[in-house]
Amino acid sequence: MEFAEHIKTANVEDVVLRQPLQPPSRGTLCITGHHLLFSDREESDSRQVLLLLRNIDAIEKRMSGSSGTITMKCKDLRVLQLDIPGMEQCLNIAHSIETLSCLDCVSAMYPFFYRPVDLSLPEQWGLSSPEMHYSQMKELYEKWRLSTVNRDYSVCPSYPPAVIVPKSIDDDTLKKAAKFRQGGRFPVLCYYHKKNGMVIMRSSQPLLGANRKRCKEDELLLQAVIEGSDKGYIIDTRSMQQAQQARMTGGGFESKSFYDRWKRFHRQMERGKALQESLIKLVEACGDESNNMDRWLSKLENSKWLSHVQNALSTAGLLVECVERDGHSVLVHGSEGTDCSLLISTLAQLIMDPCCRTMEGFLGLLEREWIQARHPFQQRCAHSAYSHARLQQESPVFLLLLDCVWQLWRQFPLALGFSEALLLRLATEVYASDYGTFLCNSDQERCALEVKERTHCLFRALLRPTERDYYSNPLYERTELAIWPSVHPQSLQLWKGYFLRWTQQVRHLEEAQEEIRNMVIEWGKLARS
Amino acid sequence: MSRSCCIINCNSRSHDSHGKPTGKEIGCYRITSLKRNCSSHVSEVTKTRRMAWIAAIQRPNITSQNTPAHRFVGSLGHITVKCKDLRVIQLEITGMEECLNIASSIEALSTLDLVSLMYPFFYRPMFEVIEDGWNSFLPQNAFKDLESMTDEWRLSEVNKDFSLCPSYPPLVAVPKDFDDETLKKVATFRHGGRFPVLSYYHKKNGMVMMRAGQPLTGTNGRRCKEDEKLINATLRPGKRGYIIDTRAINVAQQAKARGGGFELEANYPQWRRIHKAIERYNVLQESLIKLVEACNDQSHSMDRWLSKLEASNWQTNVKEILTTACLAAQCIDREGASVLVHGTEGTDSTLQVTSLAQIILDPGCRTVKGFQSLVEREWLQAGHPFQQRCAQSAFSNSKPRHEAPVFLLFLDCVWQILRQFPCSFEFNESFLVLLFEHAYASQFGTFLGNSAAERARLCLPEKTVSLWSWVNRPQELERLTNPLYEPNSLVIWPSVAPQSLLLWEGVFLRWNRSSKCLDEAYEEMVHIIEYNKELQTKVNSLRRQLAQLETEDPLLHTP
Repeated sequence: MEFAEHIKTANVEDVVLRQPLQPPSRGTLCITGHHLLFSDREESDSRQVLLLLRNIDAIEKRMSGSSGTITMKCKDLRVLQLDIPGMEQCLNIAHSIETLSCLDCVSAMYPFFYRPVDLSLPEQWGLSSPEMHYSQMKELYEKWRLSTVNRDYSVCPSYPPAVIVPKSIDDDTLKKAAKFRQGGRFPVLCYYHKKNGMVIMRSSQPLLGANRKRCKEDELLLQAVIEGSDKGYIIDTRSMQQAQQARMTGGGFESKSFYDRWKRFHRQMERGKALQESLIKLVEACGDESNNMDRWLSKLENSKWLSHVQNALSTAGLLVECVERDGHSVLVHGSEGTDCSLLISTLAQLIMDPCCRTMEGFLGLLEREWIQARHPFQQRCAHSAYSHARLQQESPVFLLLLDCVWQLWRQFPLALGFSEALLLRLATEVYASDYGTFLCNSDQERCALEVKERTHCLFRALLRPTERDYYSNPLYERTELAIWPSVHPQSLQLWKGYFLRWTQQVRHLEEAQEEIRNMVIEWGKLARS
Repeated sequence: MSRSCCIINCNSRSHDSHGKPTGKEIGCYRITSLKRNCSSHVSEVTKTRRMAWIAAIQRPNITSQNTPAHRFVGSLGHITVKCKDLRVIQLEITGMEECLNIASSIEALSTLDLVSLMYPFFYRPMFEVIEDGWNSFLPQNAFKDLESMTDEWRLSEVNKDFSLCPSYPPLVAVPKDFDDETLKKVATFRHGGRFPVLSYYHKKNGMVMMRAGQPLTGTNGRRCKEDEKLINATLRPGKRGYIIDTRAINVAQQAKARGGGFELEANYPQWRRIHKAIERYNVLQESLIKLVEACNDQSHSMDRWLSKLEASNWQTNVKEILTTACLAAQCIDREGASVLVHGTEGTDSTLQVTSLAQIILDPGCRTVKGFQSLVEREWLQAGHPFQQRCAQSAFSNSKPRHEAPVFLLFLDCVWQILRQFPCSFEFNESFLVLLFEHAYASQFGTFLGNSAAERARLCLPEKTVSLWSWVNRPQELERLTNPLYEPNSLVIWPSVAPQSLLLWEGVFLRWNRSSKCLDEAYEEMVHIIEYNKELQTKVNSLRRQLAQLETEDPLLHTP
């Protein structure tokens, strides 16, 4: 792909840039294949703005006389404005931004070109692999095994090559069970609760269809999971009605008669388009400038975003209740098992397992549950709240996860080893990144494009000492207990740090937090010297 | 005299057989003689007012009417006590009769109306009073500070017997060139005799903020030359001033029919009038009741919570008050103009605006002492009728009369600014919560009475302890100071966008969220900051030692 053909004007002088929280500045604008670069003309403290074109969600252009104004709305919710002299230049720039910001070709994206001088491409991409994860979990050896049935992605294209399954189930049974689950996502282990040996499994919906097909192998597989226990729970992230309707399209749910030792709960969680629309409404409300309290509160309510947060946290709470309090294993699925299932299994692990609450632990958890278990990032995060493009597969499921984690962090300020800054960074990176971590929709696609060989990994970069200092929580104190979040509507708040990030008022809080972080870093230095 | 406990079968006494107080702090006493002689009076006020003598039983005061106050299961009785600080307590009492006795005692004693029976008159401090709070913030002292900045003002004693304006203190600051006779004339033209007085002098540019009651223009547009002269005297030659009326224009128009009104442009050509609609009285009380009801909603529905929050209008009130205060501050600091603030009586929304404007403008008001002084000056001395406004809180279901959470709204606004500027205040949220609690129920006399005149009549400084005496001790101050404080001499402009105003969880969700984790985090932060200070001093002393060694021992440079 030749980027040059999209760039008719690469440089413009005398451009005025307006961005939130800063005075307007005049300087030179430069467009490259992946970036928009603005450099200030002031020589004393030359400021540069480097913006990844991928970050731009929507642009608007307005012409007046011989000059034009381009408003760029970014996926991190920032809004920038460029005043460009010369109509033709302005049109050219706008055209370049429009085309280059939504290129479809993954291998042309910036992570494949990002080569910082101080970093060489890693030998190992990512923090861990299913194999390493299994080998570290000695408790699993007795009853669970690592199956490589999916080594060439033929059984389930969206699973990694190795998955953890009950020891008593052989690969042939798995292959048959996979045929009975949507997208081949047969039940696999995602979490082992050391305290009582109970597990969380996840899968996709069973393909019963209208004529109530059954699959012995799938039943056998689930039976093996609760061997030695009286029952297990299934949490279906759809309402009963939705699950029944799914039968018409070949899907369905585990019926009582064939899975008699499993008790099923239905919890309706919003997904897909509805979630995206909720985000759009929320962002619109946050940008409302009418200065009217009633309007703000009713728009906030109408967006339903906080309801989704509450719903996700309480469903995760239910899952924890089953595993931790009730002492039974749980299978989680919705329809595809790539969105809500991941959301609640991730939250449940964060609530239960202190190891997931350190910075490494959290990033490792995200890698296992979202990267390896395949959340289709490229489809879900193609556009954010500002885009005018028709919605296709976009849905802010990952952002919802980060919001829920933030609620946990706010309610338990000491229990998490990372800070809000990490969540903010992840929320930005997931939509536009220098790193290859959130590229593609599955492990299979990643291999085909050689993402692991040709891009840098965000999680590894975040764990470098300088970055780690910045993103860790200075107040962190490990607690072994489960951290039960309050899901009362009164105790959930809007994540101001993200949604109102570019408005003035949040900054003072950031300064106070910065102050504390600096102190802790200073001590570290003192302790070392 | 022997005051026995009001709880039947309780043998404790407040006074021994010789009539000396026993000095016990906890107890719930009734005065038998009073009950006999004034029973009709007591029962009458009991119905209409509820106040916190009950502080002796459980410190917060109690309303118990709008729940089934007591219900019985077998011989076990339950009493639900809903406090003015929004806490809800359940008592389980064995024995039906005991339960009924306790309930009726609580009901009767929590609603006593006679000020002189209230707990502050019976409370004896268990701590050593280092600095008597009653003398901490005398108007004379505040005026000395003013004198050091300007000689254009004088302290007038025209109200020394409270005859001119019952709600003003004996000493008020007025323009120097106006004698007491003129003031008397002006007082007849202002609601409640509240003639314009100095509220704040802005050192940076010499502009002032004054407050008053509404002018009594009436329907025929009465005018008062002295009033016009008085406020014009605060203007610099050729400069204009702003009058901020805290009522909407139509409310101000309607006030004319009842003898009130506003300054007409024709008579006050040098002043520009701005109307801002701040709610008052029972509208605010209802807003509080709705908000507290929403906060205690157990329905678990996010939509319901948000729409109830919206319907309560509380946040709108916070926003309106802050916006008006910012406007006043802006007129003074940015426009370089003097400001006169009034509403109707000048004892509620006026004080919210003038006190908040000072917090925005004056770094001095953001210290612990400065804030106490502000509360003393702009609320207690300036005649906010605390006893009427804070007689009942959100749980009471008797018909509100003069109740309004005006002071609570002010504290909420301060909290919003504090949250937006976490390093600019010497005190922390706990201090604001403490003031809220004590305004509604206290063992201290500070918030008793409705005006300086009433407080003088009750001899509070002699008979009760001041809240400030207790607060200004090192061990209390330590709890109330903000570890992040760094003096900031700038004007701080809060954001008043609806998105940036939050619900004050520390008050409204205090009893239904577990704050344990948040408190731990706060403590941890305090610890970090203290340790940091320690290290800093250590570093400094090591540096000094090193410097000394270097000068003493030149060999150190050439090893």
